[in-house]
Amino acid sequence: MSLIRLEGISRVYGSGPAAVHALRPTHLTFEEGMLVAIFGVSGSGKSTLLNMLGLLDEPTSGDYLLEGRNVAKLTDATRSVIRCKQIGIIFQSFNLFPHFSILENVCMPMRFAGVERHEMKARASELLNRVGLGDRLSHSPSQLSGGQCQRVAIARALANSPSVILADEPTGNLDEKTGNEILAIFHELVDEGHTVIMVTHNAEYEKQVHRIIELHDGNVVRQ
Amino acid sequence: MSLIYNVESTWLSLRHHAFRSLLAMLGVVLGVAAVVGMLAVSEGARVESVERIQRQGVDNIILHSEEPDARATGGDEVYFYGITTEDLEHFRTVFDNVKKVVPVVQLRQPIYANGKLTDVVLMGVGPRFLKISRSENADSRGRWISETDSRTASMVCSVGVDAARQLFGLEDPLGKTVSVFGASFKVVGLINNPLRSKLAGKHDINNLVFIDYENLLSTFKRDTLQVVADYTYVQVEDLAYLKNTADRIRTYLSETHELPDYTISVPYELLLAEQATQRVFSVVMSSIAAISLVVGGIGIMNIMLANIYERTKEIGTLRALGAQRRTILTQFLFEAVTLTGLGGILGVTIGFLIALVIEYSAGMPTVVTPVSIIVALTVSVLTGIIFGTHPAWKAANLSPIEALRR
Repeated sequence: MSLIRLEGISRVYGSGPAAVHALRPTHLTFEEGMLVAIFGVSGSGKSTLLNMLGLLDEPTSGDYLLEGRNVAKLTDATRSVIRCKQIGIIFQSFNLFPHFSILENVCMPMRFAGVERHEMKARASELLNRVGLGDRLSHSPSQLSGGQCQRVAIARALANSPSVILADEPTGNLDEKTGNEILAIFHELVDEGHTVIMVTHNAEYEKQVHRIIELHDGNVVRQ
Repeated sequence: MSLIYNVESTWLSLRHHAFRSLLAMLGVVLGVAAVVGMLAVSEGARVESVERIQRQGVDNIILHSEEPDARATGGDEVYFYGITTEDLEHFRTVFDNVKKVVPVVQLRQPIYANGKLTDVVLMGVGPRFLKISRSENADSRGRWISETDSRTASMVCSVGVDAARQLFGLEDPLGKTVSVFGASFKVVGLINNPLRSKLAGKHDINNLVFIDYENLLSTFKRDTLQVVADYTYVQVEDLAYLKNTADRIRTYLSETHELPDYTISVPYELLLAEQATQRVFSVVMSSIAAISLVVGGIGIMNIMLANIYERTKEIGTLRALGAQRRTILTQFLFEAVTLTGLGGILGVTIGFLIALVIEYSAGMPTVVTPVSIIVALTVSVLTGIIFGTHPAWKAANLSPIEALRR
């Protein structure tokens, strides 16, 4: 069984002649333990695809099988639960909560999953330790550099041990060296059996990933 | 979602926007302060008027003998009027629900002290009067006129503290004599009424000289007195049937008295009327104050909408991390209710201060009741719920991708 199967997933905004086909019916399969990069120019549909994978948006048609379960048409509440427990999301601009400490930031998905308080704190500090920030648990995001913030975001994405990690241009706001550090962490995660799917512009990563998907005008042109 | 999370995120948000939050709260603070202050003033006025009425005794029906005016008598002069001994006897024996009938008679002739006219009045009362009027013996050497004095028709009197000062100045009143209209009474006691109550709402008890009722009737001639009872206290057994008893007395007197030579006052009825008036007063004042609470609520709504607009991306992130709609709804509602709740607490405190200031500067009695505090706090929390629901609902229903795009 594949981790993810997309069967004819599409997304159309609007209707009639003015309809915008952000994503044409797409068939894709993702296996476990892979680092996948999605390439494409602006407006090619790569963000739409990522939103579909992250259950942030509902497909116009098609089926989405996540670990064998069709999650294409579920209620908002159920999709929230799946986002919380099975999907970890990383953003280009980190999206940390500025008023909370980084420990609290990492705790956030576990709160939504109803993890007990002391267990939550223990796991959060373990994860921050792992991304090399174990000595700054009570720091606020504003006290950290961009690379460090993205590492906090990775720790946060890992909080509920998701089956897939989605990253939307995770190195877009970082310099090359820091970007490579983040990519190195992704490789570690993949080596441990995680699946990381990232949207990126950076052609240099082509050689560093296991699989490349390229989109153009809502169509998958390379996979 | 845990309460701790809501408390923490609310605390952080409020701390981050401390000044803005304070401004948002201001409407609620002032509204609640106005409600609490106004209720304190109206409650103070109510308590005062209730006390004034209660001093006359709520379980009493008071009959006043009145000299009928010339129009009613057709020009004839009336020598004798008011409540009669037969009436008193009838109340005592025929009516049920009557505990006691206490007549009080007043000597109309003035009392002189050292040749000067005073406003001290001689009253004939029963031995029970001391207790009924909640007065006390002011000088331990003295005593109140007793049953024995009544039986033996002793020419003794008890003097109110203010009356004593008028009659004897700084001298010791005990053993002195009060002379009035050819009769002399030896002062055997000094009494004080700490409540400064008035007999029949007219005569300051501390400014009266008391002798035994029967004694007064036998000492002074009937045509001097013209009445057998200026005031008659009819004390009822059961307050629940007081109105019924009063009605029966009214009917009885209207049948037996040809002339309108009496009036009836029922302090309890006055009390009820007074309470009804006060209730209207309170409702009107609270409604006015409630308007400012609505204004306060709109302020809260405004600030919450601004808050949500500002935190759209944060809401999107929360949703992406797996927060349910109701988690977001609860979080923002909790924040609004915290704002108004804190505003309510602050408002109650300020309302308290307003009440104190009014009490000391305007000399009006004020009472802050626990009920008014509970009402004020409940209303402020409700304001938060009512005006916080729309913004919170809006936040909860943001589409995650739209919110993240900001």
